[in-house]
Amino acid sequence: MRVSEFVSHSSEETIAKGREIAAGLHPPVMVMLSGELGSGKTTLTKGIISGLGAAPEEDVTSPTFTLVHVFHNHCKVYHVDLYRVENFQDLESLGLEDALGEEAVVIIEWSERFSYRTDWPRVEIRLEHAGGDSRRIAISGLSLENRL
Amino acid sequence: MKIAAKGVESSAKQANPTAVLTWGFHKSGKRAMSTRILGIESSCDETAAAIVADGRDILSSVVASQLDIHRKYGGVVPELASREHLRQIVPVVREALAQAGLSFADIDAIGVTRGPGLVGALLVGVTYGKVLAMELGKPLVPVNHLEGHIHAVFLEAHLAGRAPELPAVCLIVSGGHTLLYHVRAGSGNGDVSAHGFLYRRLGGTRDDAAGEAYDKVARLLALGYPGGPVIDQLAAQAAAAGSGAGAKDGLNFGPVKIKGNTFDFSFSGIKTAVLYYVRAHPEFGPEMEARRTALQEGRRRAADLFPLCSPQTLLLVSNFQTAVVHDLVTRTFAAATETGARTILVSGGVAANSELRDRFMTKSGPMGVNVFFPSRALSTDNAAMIAAAAYPHLLAGDLASSDLNAEPNLRLA
Repeated sequence: MRVSEFVSHSSEETIAKGREIAAGLHPPVMVMLSGELGSGKTTLTKGIISGLGAAPEEDVTSPTFTLVHVFHNHCKVYHVDLYRVENFQDLESLGLEDALGEEAVVIIEWSERFSYRTDWPRVEIRLEHAGGDSRRIAISGLSLENRL
Repeated sequence: MKIAAKGVESSAKQANPTAVLTWGFHKSGKRAMSTRILGIESSCDETAAAIVADGRDILSSVVASQLDIHRKYGGVVPELASREHLRQIVPVVREALAQAGLSFADIDAIGVTRGPGLVGALLVGVTYGKVLAMELGKPLVPVNHLEGHIHAVFLEAHLAGRAPELPAVCLIVSGGHTLLYHVRAGSGNGDVSAHGFLYRRLGGTRDDAAGEAYDKVARLLALGYPGGPVIDQLAAQAAAAGSGAGAKDGLNFGPVKIKGNTFDFSFSGIKTAVLYYVRAHPEFGPEMEARRTALQEGRRRAADLFPLCSPQTLLLVSNFQTAVVHDLVTRTFAAATETGARTILVSGGVAANSELRDRFMTKSGPMGVNVFFPSRALSTDNAAMIAAAAYPHLLAGDLASSDLNAEPNLRLA
């Protein structure tokens, strides 16, 4: 699987990268975001969701409190945050079966806590702090194969 | 107290012993001509019911908090919240009627929160409200939870015999929201509680809500959940004891820079700065371990945790709070200045924060702006604000149709 790496130097660059990623996404697909607090997961998601045309970037905020945000415009996007999810029972309580039952783009922050088995195509994105405002973004699984 | 709800009793024992079940109960508003609305709120982790006459006189207000259920998860767990709402809603509504000395027959209409919030939690209130309205043959008014928070400020002002002048700027700040609205009177004469308000969104958070930043920083520093009250109290105790002065170096948060709309907020950077700072100071390790142990043993009050915080930690939480509060206060006053509003309304759970209240009040005189807050009980989620917000909509005939549904992402403007 191809892994591409990119270093972003600002939140604007991270959002632009998100838009670029969005151009290669075709539902149904899961976007698995991992990386610690403040590594830019929500910022990248702003780019992806606005790039998909599902919502303007300012409407994309952290779903930590309510755990799932849903956007309907143009295409259906679920923005899920598993930061507070500790075990499978918590995960089950989110009702993600609905999201996985339709043609949607499902973006999952703290995806290392996602333990469902699905056969959905997925894109894995790892974000890391790289000093100051810089973030290292490693993307795998996004290639021509899921368009065929 | 008849409610067999653990959440009710235990939350009553915490910070605010008298506020939960008995405040605001008076019968002066029980006039022959008054319109009594039963408000129902279940958008997040409080099951609440209240009866308000004419949109401004609180006859009863009952809140069953689920805080103890969600604490170990460090936040609200949707499925648990829904289940608990189901268990609580009937006794809470009965208690609200009993406290007001009324029966279902005395109610003129039902107001219910339809959003924003957790879908499963909202559905409990919406479904219950629909069934009750149908059974009683009374009108059902769908209410936007955010509009409820704005009415909470007017309810409190009414209790104090005051009436906030409009137009106003309203800051709604909680664990789930950080929003700035311009609020003006709707068309019509007489009391504002009757003709309602018109809203324009000025700004909102681009990432984390302010209350969410508190929760995340509290989690980072092993201070328990929810983060707001404990950080507020630690900062106050540190100031009173002169602690933090012994700290070697502090973390100074610069002002939050926002490109574009300067009435937007961003608290993600402040949170990340705390993370970097903690990581750069491994000496925080042992005291955090000690606090984790204390929390596991149920010693989670600020007074329990204070002795387990180094001067460095106290300075960090104080500076964090000051940075968040400064940003909220500065942008809200700037919005008032730009829109020419001479009134600021502050509502939502974080409106209970003592430093936030102090800073708003200190600045209000020199700025020539009146600032209004609800009491703590009306700041956090309650149903009195929902019943009050329902009143102008009832008068305007904005009633629910039979297909009323929960709207988790509902906007106000």
